Amino acid sequence: MNAAFLKKVKRNDQLARWVITVGGMAIIFSVIFILVLIAKVSLPLFLAPKAQLQQVVQLDRANEQIVTFGHDEYMETAYRLLDDGTTVFFNLEDGSEIDRFEPDPPAEGLTPLTVESFGRLRQAIGWSDGQLTVSQVRFKPFFDINNNNQRRIDHEIIPLALFPTPADGIPLISQARIDEEGRQTRVNRYPGNHLTLQVREVSENFLGDEEITETETTLSFNSSGTLTTLILSAAGQHLYAGTDRGELLRWYLSDTEEPKLIETVQAFADQRSITALNLVLGDVSLAVGDETGQVSTWFPVRDEMGDKKLKRIHTLSQHNGAVQKILPSPQDKSVISLGPNKLILDLMTSERFLLAFGEEEGLIDFRLSTRGDSILALTKEGRLLSWKLDIPHPEISLGTLFGKVWYEGYDEPVYAWQSSSASDDYEPKLSLAPLIFGTLKGTFYAMLFAVPLAIFGAIYTSQFARPRLREWIKPAVEVMAAIPTVIIGFLAALWLAPLIERSLGGVFLSLILLPAALMLSILAWQGARKIEPLKRLERGFEFLAIAPIIILTIAIAAACGPGLENLFFAGDLKQWLFTEMGTRYDPRNCIIIAFAMGFAVIPITFTIAEDSLSNVPNSLKAASLALGASRWQTVWRVILPSASPGIFAGTMIGFGRAVGETMIVLMATGNTAIMDLSIFNGMRPLSANIAVEIPEAPVDGSLYRTLFLSAVILFVMTFVVNTIAEIVRQRLRAKYGKF
Amino acid sequence: MTDYKPANPVLEVQDLRFYYGDSRAIHGVDITFPEKQVTALIGPSGCGKSTLLRCFNRMNDLIDISRVEGKVLLDGQNIYDKSTDIIELRRQVGMVFQKSNPFPKSIYENVIYGLRIAGEKDKALFDERVETSLRGAALWDEVKDRLHDSALGLSGGQMQRLCIARAIAVNPKVILMDEPCSALDPKSTARVEELIGELRKNFTIIIVTHNMQQAARVSDNTAFLFEGNLIEYGPTDQLFVKPQNKQTEDYITGRFG
Repeated sequence: MNAAFLKKVKRNDQLARWVITVGGMAIIFSVIFILVLIAKVSLPLFLAPKAQLQQVVQLDRANEQIVTFGHDEYMETAYRLLDDGTTVFFNLEDGSEIDRFEPDPPAEGLTPLTVESFGRLRQAIGWSDGQLTVSQVRFKPFFDINNNNQRRIDHEIIPLALFPTPADGIPLISQARIDEEGRQTRVNRYPGNHLTLQVREVSENFLGDEEITETETTLSFNSSGTLTTLILSAAGQHLYAGTDRGELLRWYLSDTEEPKLIETVQAFADQRSITALNLVLGDVSLAVGDETGQVSTWFPVRDEMGDKKLKRIHTLSQHNGAVQKILPSPQDKSVISLGPNKLILDLMTSERFLLAFGEEEGLIDFRLSTRGDSILALTKEGRLLSWKLDIPHPEISLGTLFGKVWYEGYDEPVYAWQSSSASDDYEPKLSLAPLIFGTLKGTFYAMLFAVPLAIFGAIYTSQFARPRLREWIKPAVEVMAAIPTVIIGFLAALWLAPLIERSLGGVFLSLILLPAALMLSILAWQGARKIEPLKRLERGFEFLAIAPIIILTIAIAAACGPGLENLFFAGDLKQWLFTEMGTRYDPRNCIIIAFAMGFAVIPITFTIAEDSLSNVPNSLKAASLALGASRWQTVWRVILPSASPGIFAGTMIGFGRAVGETMIVLMATGNTAIMDLSIFNGMRPLSANIAVEIPEAPVDGSLYRTLFLSAVILFVMTFVVNTIAEIVRQRLRAKYGKF
Repeated sequence: MTDYKPANPVLEVQDLRFYYGDSRAIHGVDITFPEKQVTALIGPSGCGKSTLLRCFNRMNDLIDISRVEGKVLLDGQNIYDKSTDIIELRRQVGMVFQKSNPFPKSIYENVIYGLRIAGEKDKALFDERVETSLRGAALWDEVKDRLHDSALGLSGGQMQRLCIARAIAVNPKVILMDEPCSALDPKSTARVEELIGELRKNFTIIIVTHNMQQAARVSDNTAFLFEGNLIEYGPTDQLFVKPQNKQTEDYITGRFG
């Protein structure tokens, strides 16, 4: 070898080493990079909520009394309503006045007596003669063409309704709501637990003229205490009231002639006074604040008698004094409450404390913007403070992702996944528990079916079948792995599922008949194996004898199935399962999944197990046989232990495959996110869930990030499984040697 | 001198022919192995000595396309009879392979493997057999403190002696050795050879070897095979000193092989 050639060889050696090192590192880094990318999308779910004080505006408290106030969602313009009825719009940054609306009372010389702000910048103003107007302030961004296209916020006040003076005179306090059909509801509270309901319904008669029906009824009730606070639902259908003796009352106001008091609940045994009420977004849950400073939410739950009764569901934060006011977020199920010295933001669903702010500012009142992302609060000294809220994903916490949560309308806490619904004010149910459960359940049943088949198949092929046969079986099974999973899923869902559903009796019968028939035929074989033509079968062609037996048994089972169903299960096994065993039979269930996913798992597990079995050195096999071991003894005592690292690895890689499998489970599981171990039910695995929901998830929304989080979990699950597998494999290898 | 008939025959081979598919590897061999002696089979590579050896415990049955004609009598009973139980046969005719092949189990489990597969469960018997077999294989003193360690931790020579211990644990009549020292260093070889000398007191040993010095050192009788034929068979000292056949002489003097 001359020097130049030697140099070249060495150079190539170096080069190859570099290429291999760089390639290997690149693979490791890209896997880590993918994990980092996915995790990066999901991490903002757990960002801490923040409230940032934006502006402080000092108002002239000496010359004006503020009755109500509000601000636009851009935090640029705000308004205040003064006690003489004047509305002043002002710049929120410096407090400078922009515009002034003169009072607009229903009659000359009236002044506002009571004001209730509700909903999207609406206010019900009770005037000094008992009449009540409902108006709405509207802000609109606007680009001024005359002024260099400068952006301005336009504002206007829209009158919505006018209620006449009630028959009983001027009330202490009134609340009014207008629903989408134009029904106007007003509730008036007078001293001495006297409540009246005024309803104005505008309808069209057959001539096309407007007709107004006005009714006024007294809402009578018995209470040991005095009414302290009221809340009317957004459509004016429900009325809730609290008393100073800890009672909660609930009315249903749909029938205007006979409004119905549904229940009176002694909410607090210690008879503490209820000081604040409001309805959480969606008008199902009632947020209750009391004199001890406790905030809790309530909604009607079915009791033992089957009646819906208000029940305390969630206990939120505790103030250090009476709760003064509660406002619901217009965006989600969070609740802001004002105590003696601070504001607290809680998420109802998970009872998660999000934020406390405005400590020691002397706050007396506050408003939320229509988007719920900013707060304007008034202090005793007449300062207006505004906060910008940054709560990226309030509904996500470890509790809601993995624990049981009591959702609105449910009778108990549950694990649930329901990411979207028909209405905007639904409670997103993003529990990953049923999905992880689904993944594990599907994998479990698939492995239960696939692993014994794959391993026994591998043992047979490598140890008992003739080498010629092995040359056929192995590539054939490997081709199975090449079948696109969408085809497997498609066949499972559209061909296998209906087939099994139709002949369920036959399927069960063959489960009993098949092993029995195999046992019998093996016993028969013991006698027949000495006969000359059959003897030739024994070495590697036994399956030829077994095949007709299996086919025949299945045929018999299929033929007898319906008859058996008629005989024992009243003709319908599914119905019997449901009524007698209490299990529902889903057409897409774990039997289907076991078959279909088994189809995906078997080839990998089989190939790896077969390789490792075949790679056990012949010298070991010879040693065992030479000591007088039978073929099976050799397999059981020598080949299997020696091949165990490979068999284990094959099983684990099959497991990893089943965990990550998407297309088959997507098509054949039914995608029902339930937590039921029953083999007759479907499930929704993590992977299928991502595939189903990611196209519909708004980018960077909670659902979107939660799906990425579930991808991280999937990633970690496979990583952990593979790591454990590798560790176990190494130990087995150390124990049984390397060949 | 292929008609050499030693006394006290244990294994008698009559007109044995062996085929791999259509090609014949052994062309009618007649040979008799005497009890409690060491017989060496020598010959150049590919002469069929290993194949012949494997006919004695029917290990060749594992080869799909093989076929055997003729008789091999073990205590007068033809092992190729249909009534012969292969498992029983292999318990009487043990084997030690060219490459040591201990099971990936403990030393203890390796030794009692033959007993276990025969359905033996007696712990006391196991303990006793492990000791006698390991002593018999001159391994006891080296491993008695680590009987439950993996056999794969032993040295090459120890492993081969463990394989011998494993073979003698079931008390066979005959032990077949297929070049047992070819993968060992000289020192280990010497120990195994010494061991063979001890074992001949209790067992009939048939050893295939490449190494003529080894055959000369350990064996009582030697058979020279060439191209599937038994060329010469006789007491070792005679065959090496005064070979009757030209081919034998050429081989043992190193003219071919």
